[in-house]
Amino acid sequence: MDLNEKIKILSDSAKYDVSCSSSGSSRKNKKGGIGNAAPSGICHSWTPDGRCISLLKILLTNYCIYDCKYCVNRVSNDIPRAAFTPDELVNLTINFYRRNYIEGLFLSSAVCVSPDHTMEMLLKSVKRLREEFNFNGYIHVKAIPGASNVLIEETGKYVDRMSVNIELPSGESLKLLAPQKTKESIIKPMGLIKSGIIQNREEKLKFKSAPQFVPGGQSTQLIVGATKDDDLKILKLSESLYNSYKLKRVYYSAYVPVSNHPNLPAIIKPPLLREHRLYQADWLLRFYGFNSGELLNEENPNFDELLDPKSGWAIRNLDTFPVEVNKADYYTLLRVPGIGVKSAQRIVQGRRVSMLDFDDLKKLGIVLKRAKYFITCKGRYFPQKSIPTNPVSIKNRLLLEDNIRDHENVEQLSLFSLFPDIMAAELHMSRITGVL
Amino acid sequence: MPCYIYDGSFDGLLTAIYDAYYNKDFPEQIVSRDNFIDNFLITKVYIQTDEEKSKKVHDAILQKISRHAMSGIMYAYLSEHENAGIYILEYLRFGFKTGRIVDSYLADDRVNNINRLVTKVTREKHLLSGIIRFRLLQNNIYYAPIEPQYNTTCLLGKHFAERMSDQIFVIHDVKRSYGVFYDKNKWFMSDISIKEDIVFHENELFYQELWKHYFDYTTIKSRINPKLQSNHMPKRYWKYLIEMK
Ligand code: SF4
Repeated sequence: MDLNEKIKILSDSAKYDVSCSSSGSSRKNKKGGIGNAAPSGICHSWTPDGRCISLLKILLTNYCIYDCKYCVNRVSNDIPRAAFTPDELVNLTINFYRRNYIEGLFLSSAVCVSPDHTMEMLLKSVKRLREEFNFNGYIHVKAIPGASNVLIEETGKYVDRMSVNIELPSGESLKLLAPQKTKESIIKPMGLIKSGIIQNREEKLKFKSAPQFVPGGQSTQLIVGATKDDDLKILKLSESLYNSYKLKRVYYSAYVPVSNHPNLPAIIKPPLLREHRLYQADWLLRFYGFNSGELLNEENPNFDELLDPKSGWAIRNLDTFPVEVNKADYYTLLRVPGIGVKSAQRIVQGRRVSMLDFDDLKKLGIVLKRAKYFITCKGRYFPQKSIPTNPVSIKNRLLLEDNIRDHENVEQLSLFSLFPDIMAAELHMSRITGVL
Repeated sequence: MPCYIYDGSFDGLLTAIYDAYYNKDFPEQIVSRDNFIDNFLITKVYIQTDEEKSKKVHDAILQKISRHAMSGIMYAYLSEHENAGIYILEYLRFGFKTGRIVDSYLADDRVNNINRLVTKVTREKHLLSGIIRFRLLQNNIYYAPIEPQYNTTCLLGKHFAERMSDQIFVIHDVKRSYGVFYDKNKWFMSDISIKEDIVFHENELFYQELWKHYFDYTTIKSRINPKLQSNHMPKRYWKYLIEMK
């Protein structure tokens, strides 16, 4: 089979894997070496569907011994199969990288022969890239559930990021759809990577020259809509992954129907809007100081698809509004619908030299469409005939102003969320410059 | 009020700023020779680029304002915006009065004008660091032609010299006829006029084809959204993109 054919088969099943992020790691090039990892992440192209290409996202092989119901590569599915040799993969990566097509490699794999065998092949590929080709670009590798500790730890020494896909948000769902995987087989490698990272950080404190271990942290992916799990359950899971497992990112992937097994829901379109709301909520957890309990609860376990989670929260908590932009602290500003990290930083910086009014806010580039219902400037509301102050009419106004356009663009919105790391990069930078 | 005309170099621009202060005669416009359009109402003052004057302005900015301000006006200059010269002068006058805190006046036009230009240039620089494409030539040089909207080519040298430290490369700004060169040791800028034909290395087309195929395979056909694509990657950059041909 020629290389082109392999690329076709092995990129096709990898493309739905949402994590395209190449940020969060900074690996310096060595003398005479090739590549480095830019902490801010770089997109190298955009496909006609509007998604960013950053990493060469590909499977080592799609031969699989497992039969997960939601997956195209399941053993019972009759599709063309292929496998790269580590050499082919390494050559492809280097040659693409040298031409500046890509930021690095995102290597995943189906489970071929056994978890250990697969993990060994992954390790071999990344080791060769680092050691023989002196490659210092970004590498993200999937850890295969069920592979031995030694192999996973060894791989961690060569890569920037590792991820174990949880895929299904609960043990019951796993039993139903991926009976050969268990919660334990997924959690174990995650714990291993986490302690590896912590241990490495301690070593780094003592010896600057200690080798790196997964410096870009670990991430995971959850499939949304293939099971009955509600948003609250998913968000709670993400929250504990961030808190207890120190994950860098959780990615959400709207379930794309690939088979009609009776255990799967009969849906035609992937729940993109739901995926989008989860990304927004996830954002609120990580950068805005919210916790899952504020956003959802047992009575309301799912997000309102029509309204973004922050606006939803604000309308339920109107007693904390309006806030005065010239006085409210940074974190209070962040909780105002329509005010993001950048806007809040600008407000804090701008008001150091003068009191801000609504015109100033506009000049600072702050969009008032949503914010105007929740803020005052110098004690006054936005100069408009009637600014409603009760929850129902505010909600109606917001929905009205969202207008139909947004709802038509659901797909577009959702795709945006596939590469929000670019924004995270800005955040990162402003942290360094001390604006916070 | 006069119009200052400088030679288009950054030193020339800083000299103009120096002269404005020295003569206590603030111009209405500061434009580079290439951007200048004459009209009989204008009093023309030709600026003689003087590195000593330019260095004095440079040092004064670092001392009295900040390093951040220095890089801000540098980027504003690279935007080649027709008003960049006068915006920079207004910003510096404000900066020399207020000092380090000047960049907190985000709502002030004098600061805002500079920031808007800086954002444009920074964006393009970041975009280009991803979308320039090297072609391997027969003589083992990696060659990337580009035509940036702003004068950002010079900002790419450091990034690529660090990243591709073991390959000889040239990034060629075709529009402005200069380039960034790297010889595995250091990078530098120089004018370029290519006379001989460009000949690819024998493997070059093979990898170009693989890349085009990968690009095609990785597209999700059911979600085609060309508008979103060109929002991120405006059409004016497509000319030199292998995958867009
Ligand atoms: S193990 Fe992975 S590749 Fe194999 S069927 Fe399950 S999800 Fe698909």
